[in-house]
Amino acid sequence: MLTVRNIYFKHKGKAEDTLKGIGFNAKRGSITTILGPNGSGKTTLFKCISGVWKYYKGEIYFDEKAIDKLSFRKRARIFSVVPQEHEPPFPYSVFDVVLMGRASYVRIFSTPTERDYEIAQEAIKTLGIEHLKETPYTKISGGERQLTLIARALAQDAPVMLLDEPTTHLDFRNQIKVLKKIKEIAKEKALVVVMTLHDPNLAGLFSDKIVVINSGRKIAEGLPDETITEDLIRRIYDTEVKRININGQNIIYPVL
Amino acid sequence: MIVKKFKLFFILISPFVIAWIALFLGTYEVTPLMIIKILLNEIFHVFDIGDISEKSIIIDIRLPRVILAGIVGAALSCAGVTLQGIFRNPLVDPFILGISAGAAFGCAVTLGFLTFLPIQLMAFVFAILSVMIAYGVAKTQGEVSRLSLILSGVIVSAFFTAMVSIIKFLVDPHRLQSIVYWLMGSFSLADWKAVKIAVAGVLVGVLPIFLMRWRLNVMSMGEEEAKVLGVNIRKEKFLFIGFSTFAVAVSTSLCGIIGWVGLMAPHLVRMLVGPDHKTLVPLSISAGAAFMILADTISRTLTSFDIPVGIVTAIIGAPFFIYLMKRSGKEAWSK
Repeated sequence: MLTVRNIYFKHKGKAEDTLKGIGFNAKRGSITTILGPNGSGKTTLFKCISGVWKYYKGEIYFDEKAIDKLSFRKRARIFSVVPQEHEPPFPYSVFDVVLMGRASYVRIFSTPTERDYEIAQEAIKTLGIEHLKETPYTKISGGERQLTLIARALAQDAPVMLLDEPTTHLDFRNQIKVLKKIKEIAKEKALVVVMTLHDPNLAGLFSDKIVVINSGRKIAEGLPDETITEDLIRRIYDTEVKRININGQNIIYPVL
Repeated sequence: MIVKKFKLFFILISPFVIAWIALFLGTYEVTPLMIIKILLNEIFHVFDIGDISEKSIIIDIRLPRVILAGIVGAALSCAGVTLQGIFRNPLVDPFILGISAGAAFGCAVTLGFLTFLPIQLMAFVFAILSVMIAYGVAKTQGEVSRLSLILSGVIVSAFFTAMVSIIKFLVDPHRLQSIVYWLMGSFSLADWKAVKIAVAGVLVGVLPIFLMRWRLNVMSMGEEEAKVLGVNIRKEKFLFIGFSTFAVAVSTSLCGIIGWVGLMAPHLVRMLVGPDHKTLVPLSISAGAAFMILADTISRTLTSFDIPVGIVTAIIGAPFFIYLMKRSGKEAWSK
C-alpha cells in the first residue's frame, strides 16, 4: 500500500504553499485517480510523489517503508512514472525507449544485460505494440507513444505506477484504449496505480478510488460514485452540471 | 539486420583502411606492399629489410602522425557525441561550445608564461571553466534551449580566442612562434612522445564514456525523466562533461584547435545506424578517427605545403552544419 501523508510544497519565491497538507492511501491492484481542475496542484502533487520536486513537509511510505530519503536509483525500483508524451531529440526506436526503463538496474559503467532485453521485450508484448518495436518513437501516434511509455514503466518492474494525465493529448478512441490497458495491467500485475486526470467522467469510469483536490487541498476522497457529485463538480470547476445514471453508469454533463 | 552488421563492420574497420592508405601517400613514394612489410617487420622482426630510408619515413614520421590524428579524431568525436547527448542538442560539439577555445587559452598561458605547469592540466582547467560558463549563461529558469546554448558557446569561444590573442601580443617573440604554430591546428609536429601522451590522456577521458555510453540514451530524454528512471542526473552529467572535456583538453594541447569533427562524425554515424548510444558511441569514435586521418592526409598531400588540418575540417564542416540546420528545420531550435 502507498501512503502519502500531509505533503506541503512551496514554489521558490512564492508566498503561498501550492500544496497544503495533502494525504491519501492507494491499494495494490487498484487505480487511484487524483482529480482536479487546472492549477489545483495535481501536477505539483504528482511531481512530489514521483520524486522530481522536493516537498518541505510530509512523508511518503510504501508498505511501511519510508521513501523520502531514497536515492534516485532505489526510488525508481519502487515508483515507475509515465510522463506526458513528448518528442525526444533523437529518433530512438520504440524498443530503445522501453529498454530505458531498466536504467535503475544497469550499473553505471555497464550496459543492459540479456535479462534486461527480455524484460523490455515482455513489456512490449504486454502492451501489444510488438509491431512498433523497430519504429522510431518520433514517428508514431500520440496513443502509441503513451503505450510505449507505459511499457517502459512496466519494464521498470516497480510496484507503484504513476501516470501524469495519460489521456491529455489523445483522441477519444485512444483515451479509452489507453485507460483500459492501464486498468488491465493494474489488476494483472497487482500494481498500485496512481494517475492524474481532469475529466470527471473518465475518472469515474476507470478508477477504484478518487482523490479530489482543489487549491492545494484535498476536498473529497472515496469511491467514484460517492465522490463525483453534482455539487462537488459545480464547486471545483465553477460550472453548472447535472449527473444522470444510464445503465448503472453515472455521467456528468454540463447544463448549457 | 545483415545490412546493419555490414555497416557496423564497415565503420569499425574504416580507420585502419584509411590509415594504411595514408601511410603510402606523401611526397616520398612508398609502395603499399612495402608498408605492410615494414610494419610486420617492426612488430615481429621476421624478415630483415635492412636500414632503408622508407623505414624511417614510415616508422618515425608518417606512422606517429597517422596514429595521433586517429586518436585525436576519436577523442573529439567521442566528446561530440557525448555533449550532443547530455545537452539533448544535435548541433553542439567541443568547438561550438567553446571547450576547444578554453583549452587553447590554458595551453597558451602555459606556453607563454607558466612553462613550469603541466600543459594538459591547464588546458583541462580552462576547458572545464568554459563549458561551465557556456552552460551557466545558456540556463534561464532552469532550462537550456538549443539556440541559447549555441549562442553562449559562441560567446565563450570568442572571449577565449580574444584572450589567446592578448597572450600572443604580450609574449616573448621566441615563444610566440611555438604558440602560433601550434594554434593553427596541425599534426605536423607529431612524434611518438605525443602519441604516448594522447593514448594516456584519451584513455582516461574516452574509456569511461565508452563504458557509460548506454546511459546517454536515458539522459538525452531530459532531466526529469532521467531522474524518475533512476539516474542521478547531476552526478552523471558532471562525469560525462568531465571526461569528455578532459579528452578534448589533451587533444587540444597536442595539436591545437581542430573544429567540426565532433559534430560531423557522430551525425554521419547516426544517419547510418540510428541514435542508440550503445552502438553510436563506439562507431563515432571509429568514424572520428577515420575522418581525422583522412582530413590530415588531405592537408599534407593536397599541396606542397602542409596546410593546417583545422582549415580542412572547417572547409568541410561549415557546409555540413548548414545542411544539418536546414534539414532539421524549425524543431532544431526549439526545446
